[in-house]
Amino acid sequence: MAVTVTPETFSYVSFDAGLIHRIADEIAGAIGLGDTPITIEVDETTPLARTVISIDDGVHDGIYIRADSGAFEDTRKPRQQSETATATSLGRVLLRASDRLTGGFGEAPPDDQLSLPQISAWETYSIGRLERLGITVNRQRWLYNFRNRHGFTDAADGAFEQLWQSDALTWGSLCAISDSARAVLESS
Amino acid sequence: MRKFLPVDQLARDERFAPVSMNERMADPRTALDVNEGAPKAGAGGNRKFRLTPERRDASDGARGLMHGVFVGEIQALEGAGRTCFDFETVGVAATDDDADTASAVPFALKLDMARQCWDEARHVEISVKLSDWMGTEIGQYAENTVLFAAACSSDPVLRLAGVNRALEGLAIDVFTTMKEFGELAGDPYLEFCEDWMLADEVTHVKMGSDWLRKVTENDPERRKKALEFQSIVDKLFSYGGTRSESDESPIGLARRFRSLAGFTDEEVDSISEVSLQALNERKSAVVQARADAADAFSHAATGG
Repeated sequence: MAVTVTPETFSYVSFDAGLIHRIADEIAGAIGLGDTPITIEVDETTPLARTVISIDDGVHDGIYIRADSGAFEDTRKPRQQSETATATSLGRVLLRASDRLTGGFGEAPPDDQLSLPQISAWETYSIGRLERLGITVNRQRWLYNFRNRHGFTDAADGAFEQLWQSDALTWGSLCAISDSARAVLESS
Repeated sequence: MRKFLPVDQLARDERFAPVSMNERMADPRTALDVNEGAPKAGAGGNRKFRLTPERRDASDGARGLMHGVFVGEIQALEGAGRTCFDFETVGVAATDDDADTASAVPFALKLDMARQCWDEARHVEISVKLSDWMGTEIGQYAENTVLFAAACSSDPVLRLAGVNRALEGLAIDVFTTMKEFGELAGDPYLEFCEDWMLADEVTHVKMGSDWLRKVTENDPERRKKALEFQSIVDKLFSYGGTRSESDESPIGLARRFRSLAGFTDEEVDSISEVSLQALNERKSAVVQARADAADAFSHAATGG
């Protein structure tokens, strides 16, 4: 499998392209994307933490990930790389790509058309799986993210738990869980 | 115990990662859209970073800001405590005829600083619990120590201007932004806690404004110097456009609460102007740094 990381050397930040390559390689292998070409482009001019992904976009073969440098950064040490942040950021977009490629998510809108509750529901589903792959995650951080989009209610917490523990959801079942929590919020 | 503790001597355990203002300023990256031109107050055409739930990274933005509040409260506690300890006590009231307030402060001022320590210690505890609630660990973000640096002046009046008016003024802006965020996101704890801490910060600014006026009542030159120092600190706290009335800044300027704290409209206008200047200067610096980097690359590539 080919993982390509650009740039190969960084000037704005002290990142290691080899480490990014290794982490992407390991996660892709663990989630069944071992044969898919992956291109990762890091925008080191911005400290933001966005990651954008496309699949067979006509320019790049396979999966293309564009990440802001903040996505891989150690928040304790500005401009230094964090292995955990790199794994979490790459893992969640690779799992989203894997969901789209392996079926069950055909009706999911393109990433830039997902609603904020849908994004947080999908992230919860992805991060829960990453934790089971052995990647260090802060569960409370993701619960807070989910509550911000689904309400600070028992129903939202229940929906979070269901998404976090799941391994084989479809787009329809993921949305149903998210919608059930939103419905409680909107009726309160 | 040592008096006038330098910023690098602050006591921190291994969880904390201090970062100086110089290190922060050396970071050439920016989230600002440097091609959009000068920032404007309010909603303009520029990229918007105001912390609201609509931002895709809203919860992470709130967590980062909350950690900034947490370390800011620790440093505010240390600063107010230092002002109680670093200076001798003179008289009871600032206007005592024989009061030499150059290196000594009135007992009542120390009493206010002691009350502020009590408040800040409570704020630290609240911030720890809020961080826990939001999924942030102590020390998860770098600690910018510029806040305590503003509390290191040898003139107590400059400390009042730098800490109580500039730093605590910034706290009013931050707490207002966070309270509104909590309200919009429906986070009951965040909204409630920020509201109560905001009330304390308004009092701290008011104490600073009152003491600055009293202590410099017969010394207009010293008052002028203190207000100039405050302006410098205000600009530092707005570095990179962190706080301004432009929607490009994560933190807004809380005019109403600043007014309650004793800032005049002219003073708030001036802070607004200084903040926009800081945002604009950062954009210019980034454009220049990128041009320099392109030049250096071009020279290297052509062997020139």
